[in-house]
Amino acid sequence: MKTNYLLLLILPLLWSCSNDQDDTYQNIPLEFKVPSNFPPLAYDLVNNPPTQKGFELGKKLFYEGRLASDGIVSCGFCHIQEDAFTHHGHSLSHGVNDAIGTRNTPSIQNLGFQTSFMYDGATTHLDLQPIIPFTSPIEMNGDFSKAIAMMKSDAEYQKLFRLAFTDGQINSENMLKALGQFMLMVTSSNSRFDKYRRNETGGTLTQQELDGYAVFNQKCATCHATDLFTDNSFRNNGLPVNPLINDVGRFRVTQLAQDLHKFKVPSLRNVEKTAPYMHDGRFLTLEGVLEHYNSGVGNSTNLDPILNINGRLGIALTPTEKTQLIAFLKTLTDTQYLTDKRFSEY
Amino acid sequence: MKFQFKYSIAVIAIAFALFSCTDKNDEVITGEGNLKLEFDNVYNANNLAFDTPYTNSNGEVVKINKLKYIVSNIVLTKVDGTTFTVPKSQSYFIVDESTTASTLLNLPNIPAANYTKVSFGIGVDQAQFNLGATGQGDFLALAQTAGMMWSWSAGYKFLAFEGTFTSSTVTTPTSFMVHTGQTGTDYNYTTVTLNLPTNALVRTTITPQVHIMADISKVLDGTNKVSLTASNGMGMGAMIMSGANLPLITANLSNMFSVEHVHND
Repeated sequence: MKTNYLLLLILPLLWSCSNDQDDTYQNIPLEFKVPSNFPPLAYDLVNNPPTQKGFELGKKLFYEGRLASDGIVSCGFCHIQEDAFTHHGHSLSHGVNDAIGTRNTPSIQNLGFQTSFMYDGATTHLDLQPIIPFTSPIEMNGDFSKAIAMMKSDAEYQKLFRLAFTDGQINSENMLKALGQFMLMVTSSNSRFDKYRRNETGGTLTQQELDGYAVFNQKCATCHATDLFTDNSFRNNGLPVNPLINDVGRFRVTQLAQDLHKFKVPSLRNVEKTAPYMHDGRFLTLEGVLEHYNSGVGNSTNLDPILNINGRLGIALTPTEKTQLIAFLKTLTDTQYLTDKRFSEY
Repeated sequence: MKFQFKYSIAVIAIAFALFSCTDKNDEVITGEGNLKLEFDNVYNANNLAFDTPYTNSNGEVVKINKLKYIVSNIVLTKVDGTTFTVPKSQSYFIVDESTTASTLLNLPNIPAANYTKVSFGIGVDQAQFNLGATGQGDFLALAQTAGMMWSWSAGYKFLAFEGTFTSSTVTTPTSFMVHTGQTGTDYNYTTVTLNLPTNALVRTTITPQVHIMADISKVLDGTNKVSLTASNGMGMGAMIMSGANLPLITANLSNMFSVEHVHND
């Protein structure tokens, strides 16, 4: 009898304990490891240290259609994991109300190593980048006040914000921080090429792939530098301007004549999966991209000098070199990242 | 008797002097109070009115229909030269001429003291941008609702100044839009420091109100002259939202504020 009473006394205690655990900030840090073959991280982890719960909230937000004005177009709508978080098959991506954008969806991977975002470098902080697609009338056409009201009336979000942030506030700051944590953690560092570079098991390249790597280092690696395959610069690579769009590129941000029609050098990781290519998705295949560099580069005042050496426009590539390069580029495909359950919607 | 009377007066006078002296020296100023900054937008010597013609030194007749700007990073200087910085996250405001309440900024939890200067920023500072979302609270939502988010660059409009104009060459009323903010080359954030004509005496019982005049004529017609006519290149309106004019306008903003008076009530 005595023990029964004691149990009855203890029971509510147990209940309230577990209730507390469910509902308050949980600091389960996520370790961000910089792969040994990568350059240093640009993202400041101190300001927004990733936690398990922050990441989970960020992932829910990333796949949340209710953030958009039509309740459908989430970030993940155009950023599809199996296509290296691009919009496979769409040269230009479409947003709410069938609005068509002017640029091709860029990949999401290793963003913590980038110093600016968007093809024109319109923003320099990963946490602030989502503002652009979220509020763009031709993308998600979202409204922060409405999104916050929606989340405040949703029990699941109420709980997740409390678990993810010390102040538990549902506001635009924490919403962006959670998205930042999710995007930061989306890392691709385990392609066959990475394993080759780190001398790990499975890191064997064929002779053709090695030959391609040699051609790459000789002819492509100035711009597609480091094992992230970008030097984060803005360049004009001789694409003829599409007069229907006349995308001025970096000029939009700086208004400097020397930045007209310059675009950010993209990473080539998982490039096999990110077709179509270029800022406007004009090339449907890698063969098309290489042929552009071989024979399609157009001259202009801002053409990158490296593509106009001794009066020869572009980069001379033989058919063999092209085959070798494509074989090499396919070693950058990272199946683990493309199928990682931590990043997937379902 | 006469002597005694004089003597008494002297004693009383001395006592008063001493008493008031001690009063001044020993007044212990403690606790916290509030301080209000009023942003009174004017155009030259006139109270600013929307849709009213004003002629500038470029010979342009300007009618204004929107005026909003971000006030941030408020710092108060005490008589002894030390400063009090309003906590950054509670120090972002949008002054909107169309909403009277927004022109009066209420700053709570100000240490009681005698203040001689106020300084503030126009816009959002670079340090804040470098922190990403950290410290922004719900300001983004507020800015978006106010139309002060510069969404294509994931930032803010520091100033939104809009209306219509005519000039000798632009004879039909043509719209103009002046937006300042961070660009790829210029930060376009500026700070303003103003001396107070009388000290602002913040007490637990006194909420001083600092009446700041913002002479909006100076946005385009200040130290730097920015022509709307010249910016109407395509005949589609003068859209000044980027490029070399923004730093010129930002410099004008830094000189358009003055303190008219301080109420210590």
